[in-house]
Amino acid sequence: MRGFLDWIMDPKRRGAMLIAPAIILLFVMNIFPLMWSFGLSFFHYKASSMKPPSFAGLYYYEKVLSDPVVWERFQTTALIVSLSVLVQMIFGFALALLFSKKFPLRREIMMLVLTPMMLSFVAVGVFFKLFYEPTFGLVGQAFKYITGETLILLSTKWGAIAGIVIADAWMWTPFVMLLVLAGLVSVPDYLYEAAEVDRATKWERFKTVTFPYVKGLLLLALLFRTIETFKLFDVVYIITAGGPGTSTETIAVYVYRMAFQFFKTSQSSALSYILLFVVIVLTNLYLYFVNQREQET
Amino acid sequence: MSALKVTGLIKHFGDVKAVDGLDLDVEKGEFFALLGPSASGKTTSFRTICGIEAPDSGSIFLDGQDMTNSPMRDRGVAMVFQTFALYPHLSIRENLEFPLLQMKLGKAEISKRVGETAELLKLSHTLDRKPGTASGGEQQRIAIGRALIRHPELLLLDEPLTNLDAKLRHDTRAEFKRIHRERGITIIYATPDELEALTLGDRIGVLKDGKMVQVGTPDELYEAPDNTYVAGMVGSPRINLIDATRKGTDANPEIAAPFGDYSGGSWMQALKDFPIGEQLIFGIRPHEIVPVENRADFQGPTFDAEVHMTEPLGDVVILDLIANQSRLKMVLPEEQATAYQVGMKMTCGFDVGSTQLFAKETGTVIR
Repeated sequence: MRGFLDWIMDPKRRGAMLIAPAIILLFVMNIFPLMWSFGLSFFHYKASSMKPPSFAGLYYYEKVLSDPVVWERFQTTALIVSLSVLVQMIFGFALALLFSKKFPLRREIMMLVLTPMMLSFVAVGVFFKLFYEPTFGLVGQAFKYITGETLILLSTKWGAIAGIVIADAWMWTPFVMLLVLAGLVSVPDYLYEAAEVDRATKWERFKTVTFPYVKGLLLLALLFRTIETFKLFDVVYIITAGGPGTSTETIAVYVYRMAFQFFKTSQSSALSYILLFVVIVLTNLYLYFVNQREQET
Repeated sequence: MSALKVTGLIKHFGDVKAVDGLDLDVEKGEFFALLGPSASGKTTSFRTICGIEAPDSGSIFLDGQDMTNSPMRDRGVAMVFQTFALYPHLSIRENLEFPLLQMKLGKAEISKRVGETAELLKLSHTLDRKPGTASGGEQQRIAIGRALIRHPELLLLDEPLTNLDAKLRHDTRAEFKRIHRERGITIIYATPDELEALTLGDRIGVLKDGKMVQVGTPDELYEAPDNTYVAGMVGSPRINLIDATRKGTDANPEIAAPFGDYSGGSWMQALKDFPIGEQLIFGIRPHEIVPVENRADFQGPTFDAEVHMTEPLGDVVILDLIANQSRLKMVLPEEQATAYQVGMKMTCGFDVGSTQLFAKETGTVIR
């Protein structure tokens, strides 16, 4: 026993031993399933049946890519992504401009504004589902109080999309704000003063001095939020579960249903990898811009 | 007519009295140097004059018009910031064009002025680069160009040479003189460096704690400083300020310095008003002290001193002397100074007529 301890605590392998548990956990929970599911996407396999998998080649990729439903889901996702990211960018920028000024209780209010970002997706989903609830929800009641009518927001396609976009944008606007704010506070005051001495108008000062400092970060925020929103699942699943009908079913929700409701394991794996590919492309775009920005500064 | 007239300007930041009752009158076409150490209120004065800061009280007249509360756009004042404040995301050309675009000038006029300014400041070859890639001297010239290109009536330069190395500083100083001569604009130049002020300014205003202490030509300030502060500020090496006492009789005053009693200066008449025993400060410029070979041949007063230290500065040498426990400096041409080594005894003489006398308590001149 003594010998084994000495052997294992030898400086040569001590480091490896100490990180081994984490590596093993990572492998079992992350890397192995990733590779396993990648393998499965090339086989006929249903997780709900006892039949052993048989090789299918690129059959499921073909099937997924030629499936009109997949394209519909992509469109739904794109719609929600662009609306939500747009709202986040606009409000994030506006909030950043607000918080770059000094005013009483600025820190405290900023803490409050940042809170949504730190909540769990599930919590946000549940919040908004309850807000939208027609009879006792906050939004429903307010609507009834003002107009006298009952609002069943999630019963229409656009209402449901709006509901999701609002929830997601509420959660992630602070993130955009933080990034933009970092840019805004990095603008030296003397540049504004110089521009003012040069007789620039407020708009000119914004265009020439402020915007260039924020541009790069704004682009990063855009890409970051696009990538993240593209994978949006929890909030959608909780608020609308893809409904009404399939009108808010994002690609991530679709993958989930395909895998765990219809047990089309191979097909959902294939679709997941296509999704991963899209995200990798976006991520590389993101990294490219990060590098660009580093070279600029 | 004055291009700029400032009266009773006050600007406080909390307890800090940045500008504390400043009066300033600058003639049209004048090169006016504002001399003062850091925190004497130079920058704040400038910021108030061009409108970045609003004054607490006092007024600012530009070209005879009250502009105290006018927006910056209407003032026709250009300023070169100590930090240069170039727009980092614009090319050097765009930096120069920027003020012109704000003036809504035509394309042809803009490109003509950019060409002229680039030529004047030797920037033509760098126009399409970003300011970040330019050297310190170039950035400085871009900043000046951006101010000059507007053809402003009044140009404020806030310590524009502090960020440059010695050689560049020298060259740019000459450049300022040339630009001023060629363009005939009014320039106010803030600097903590007396050499810059003396070489550039038609007149110099000496600032202390946000107040103007004395205004005059370089010669006036050098030869007739109003107080010990100005005397110490102007002239290099610094004037020798030695404690002295009033003695002699009421009608025939004398002063007692550690190394001798003197009378006969331009301060004689005024000194009569001071009581015997009054504490004074006796000022002798280092350049006015000369070595004396033979006491009998020398017209003025003399004193004995010991060489304590020598500071060779190339063509001249500063000798640090101790005369009866009092320390003084004198300046000699290098070839003459080689005769004097540390520890040597020597006899010095000076002309009482060129000396200054100040009251110790207030520091004000007696004359």
